[in-house]
Amino acid sequence: MTFNLLVRRTHIYLALFLLPWFLMYGVSSLVFSHSSYFNERYKKDNLPQWTVRFDRPYHIDIPADDDLRPAGAKILEEAGLKGAFGVYRPNAEKLNVYWFNFWDATQLTYFVKENRLLAEDRRFRWDHILTGMHARGGFVQGSFLDDAWGVLVDIVCLAMLVWIATGIYMWWQLRQTRLWGSLALAGGCALFVAFLGML
Amino acid sequence: MFSKIIRRSHMYLALFLMPWVLMYALSTMAMNHREFFRKVYGGKPAQFEKEREQTYTGLLAANATPSQAAVQILRDLNQDGTFSVQGRPDGERLTIFRQDPVIPRRITYTPKDGRLVIERQIFQAPAFLERMHRRRGFQHDYLLEDTWASTVDLVIIAMVFWGLSGLWMWWELRATRGWGLVCLLTGATLFGVFLFVI
Repeated sequence: MTFNLLVRRTHIYLALFLLPWFLMYGVSSLVFSHSSYFNERYKKDNLPQWTVRFDRPYHIDIPADDDLRPAGAKILEEAGLKGAFGVYRPNAEKLNVYWFNFWDATQLTYFVKENRLLAEDRRFRWDHILTGMHARGGFVQGSFLDDAWGVLVDIVCLAMLVWIATGIYMWWQLRQTRLWGSLALAGGCALFVAFLGML
Repeated sequence: MFSKIIRRSHMYLALFLMPWVLMYALSTMAMNHREFFRKVYGGKPAQFEKEREQTYTGLLAANATPSQAAVQILRDLNQDGTFSVQGRPDGERLTIFRQDPVIPRRITYTPKDGRLVIERQIFQAPAFLERMHRRRGFQHDYLLEDTWASTVDLVIIAMVFWGLSGLWMWWELRATRGWGLVCLLTGATLFGVFLFVI
């Protein structure tokens, strides 16, 4: 196999394998970019964004240090939920634990002073599925499958770099496209740099 | 002819949007490894350092909203552009966050003594990339910001187009149909499995 063929095949096969991720990132970006449109659209249904699952007395000691994940995991377990979650403290009076998969999400709010735990299920929305997939990543969940998704996110990023490198290589071999290609590349770079300076 | 148009559009669009694709690839990696980069930078978010302090001589209208006051102060400082604001111009302080992509600034105005403190955020590459990644939407009152948001939309359209035109070009290459189909089905199956298992 020649180097030229290797470049071409890498470009195409990598793209075919990662096509679902690439399309998902593309389409879901539209939801982020036009979030107010989608929010207004769903508002018309007059359905509540959150539905109370339970609201009950509860107590947990919250650690003074920054690592809130053990406390979050305990709250989640005692609420009967398993899986990926995020935890944050918006203020001294509250601790929020956000449980999610691609389809559903539940927010658990622990009210420190009141010793109360409120669980609310998020309404199903297609745009939330897309944004949930888009935003999912990282290696903090500690499960094999979540880490595997994180690795795939890295692979998509590396693939984008490979597509740039192989794409430029293939373009340069097409002599008749060099002039317009150079203009497109230089124009894009100049516009991007101008944005950096002016935004 | 149609095939040639598809091929050329795929390529020229990619060349033009290369900086955006590069930025999104690098910024996604930075966000995917946020914990690692946080440790690299000492576990703290990017800090602000004082750039200068001065007396503000401009007159703010008595009934100015926080946004109106922020716009006026930023214009007087030649820093006009996208911002967010906290506090009130008739309160204890008004804090303006000027969302410059490279050097974000925090401008604190204390009406009592008319002082302005201008601070700049210390540059950190992952934070810069994340700011660029998250910059989108048409919610700000700046034409330049809307223009940037339009380029983000163009990238979105281009991504879908690259996917579909790529499929078209692949199918035209008979020699790659077999392995291509294997790659496509494997990727789609893996993605489908992930939809239900995590």
